[in-house]
Amino acid sequence: MLSTRVFSRGLLRSARPRSTAFFTPRRMITTESIPASSADSILAAQRLIRPVSPHLTIYQPQLTWYLSMTTRITGVALSGTFYLYAIGYVLVSPFGVDMSVANVSKKWGELNGAVKAAVKVPLGACFSFHFWNGVRHLVWDTGRELTVRGVYRTGYGVLGLTALSTLGLLVI
Amino acid sequence: MASTLRSSAARRILAAKPTSAIRLLPQTRIAAFHASQRHQILPPGPQVVHGTVNDPVPVPTPNAAHGSYHWAFERIIALGMIPLTVAPFAAGTANPALDAALGTALVLHSHIGFDACVTDYFPKRQYAKTRTFMIWLLRASTITAAVGLFSIQTNDVGLTEAIKKFWKA
Amino acid sequence: MASLRQPTIRLLASSTIRRASPTVINSTRCLATLAEGEIKKKEPLIKKFSIYRWSPDEPTKKPQMQEYTLDLNETGPMVLDALIKIKNEMDPTLTFRRSCREGICGSCAMNIEGTNTLACLSRINRDASSTTRIYPLPHMYVVKDLVPDLTNFYKQYKSIKPYLQSKEPAPNGKEFLQSKEDRKKLDGLYECILCACCSTSCPSYWWNQEEYLGPAVLMQAYRWLADSRDQMSGQRRDMLDNSMSLYRCHTIMNCARTCPKGLNPGLAIAKIKMLMVKGA
Repeated sequence: MLSTRVFSRGLLRSARPRSTAFFTPRRMITTESIPASSADSILAAQRLIRPVSPHLTIYQPQLTWYLSMTTRITGVALSGTFYLYAIGYVLVSPFGVDMSVANVSKKWGELNGAVKAAVKVPLGACFSFHFWNGVRHLVWDTGRELTVRGVYRTGYGVLGLTALSTLGLLVI
Repeated sequence: MASTLRSSAARRILAAKPTSAIRLLPQTRIAAFHASQRHQILPPGPQVVHGTVNDPVPVPTPNAAHGSYHWAFERIIALGMIPLTVAPFAAGTANPALDAALGTALVLHSHIGFDACVTDYFPKRQYAKTRTFMIWLLRASTITAAVGLFSIQTNDVGLTEAIKKFWKA
Repeated sequence: MASLRQPTIRLLASSTIRRASPTVINSTRCLATLAEGEIKKKEPLIKKFSIYRWSPDEPTKKPQMQEYTLDLNETGPMVLDALIKIKNEMDPTLTFRRSCREGICGSCAMNIEGTNTLACLSRINRDASSTTRIYPLPHMYVVKDLVPDLTNFYKQYKSIKPYLQSKEPAPNGKEFLQSKEDRKKLDGLYECILCACCSTSCPSYWWNQEEYLGPAVLMQAYRWLADSRDQMSGQRRDMLDNSMSLYRCHTIMNCARTCPKGLNPGLAIAKIKMLMVKGA
């Protein structure tokens, strides 16, 4: 690399008249100067093709964000169930379908025990988890237990309480 | 049998030794990346930077109704829901006032929760239309659910009794 | 400069040798044992590194994971050492940021084995059976390989006005004094090196990084709110009083879990939220 540069410089110097400056910087690569405005547009064009680095799929599963995600999922599941029934109560009843609590709960009660359990166990767990983690969040909002150690301690506490109260709900 | 197998495996490793010695040399391998852009969850779209690198991001106009008041209101409801979800069932008898309080808190808490999901997952820049649609869908759903709950409270057995019936059915 | 330094070192060295002759004897003994060949060369410890690659020169090519194999006994202890070794000896096209190699500049922030940390502070897992996977900071636009574009992050930092703002000149005409107790309130806040590990570990920041400020910037917002000398806390609070800037924080706490400096942005944000309600 260096030798070629020296060589080319020697060639250039021999080609030019001797009177030019002795140390004229010479480069093998050519550059062009562009105004600031078009530099911005080149950068903007480069930005458009940039990929987004991976996130959810590569981030380490940790108690912190997994419990947060579970809170949201359980909340959506509980409120979704409630909304579905309440909206159905309004929209389906006029079409002659009996949506009254007495009727629907009777139909629900006649279902197979396994089917009922398959709905009740997750729903009970959802409520228990959402309840206890809600309490945890309210404790955090006062600035307490908001350290890495506190987050993990309360996190495992919530999981334990969830298991217990889910069992309790299923017994009653 | 097992020993012969093991010894043959060992022989194979021994035989493979020269190749592994070669592998000590710098070696690279390229694998296709699994989370390609096409399958991304909620892709944020191409990067667009507004203003120059030295301009700060714009600061939104203060609006406590969507900021600090909203946050405090959300906490008050959540705090209220702790006793409200336990008391009616612990009391045993259905109390219309408790029932109404639980119902109101439940609708508000659900609405705020769903609203947070819409705000989180449908950012304004990329999903402006979907976001507007979701917001109005949510409002309509909340009102309909509130109406439904109201008729359960007034014409039917009430919220607490309904939950009890479904759970024990 | 180098030529100036060398004679001084030589002078110092000669003086120590003259003063502490037992060392000289010890070192000669060491040389002798080395010559006898008693110290064996360690068995090579081969470890695989799988690194995220994408180049703007080939924009149509999708991001890929490229695997490199290193002998850990020939490599320094930290992930940054491995990266530098790969760049120097195997693949000069591998691109990453690095500067101080001691966890104070924040340049080499990246996702190593699933968590965001500084490559220079993260030890290589010496379990050779597992591959160390290295990605750029999550959910960021990639400039090249492990280099994310932090333009938006810095623009957000600028927006919170990270400097002392006062309405009146200092009472003594010179400087704003602060009690020891007031100064203590800034501990655990001012140490932030803005490496963006916490912000890019936050799912809320992943989904809303245009509008949500993220844990790093919010912790600095609190650093100025908590400063007893700053007189613009009212305006500072107003700047955060909207649905996006602050309140996209759902106390997920990935930020405190991942901070390579052991700081707690989540707690700082919780304190801002309390401050916003109290209005103090």
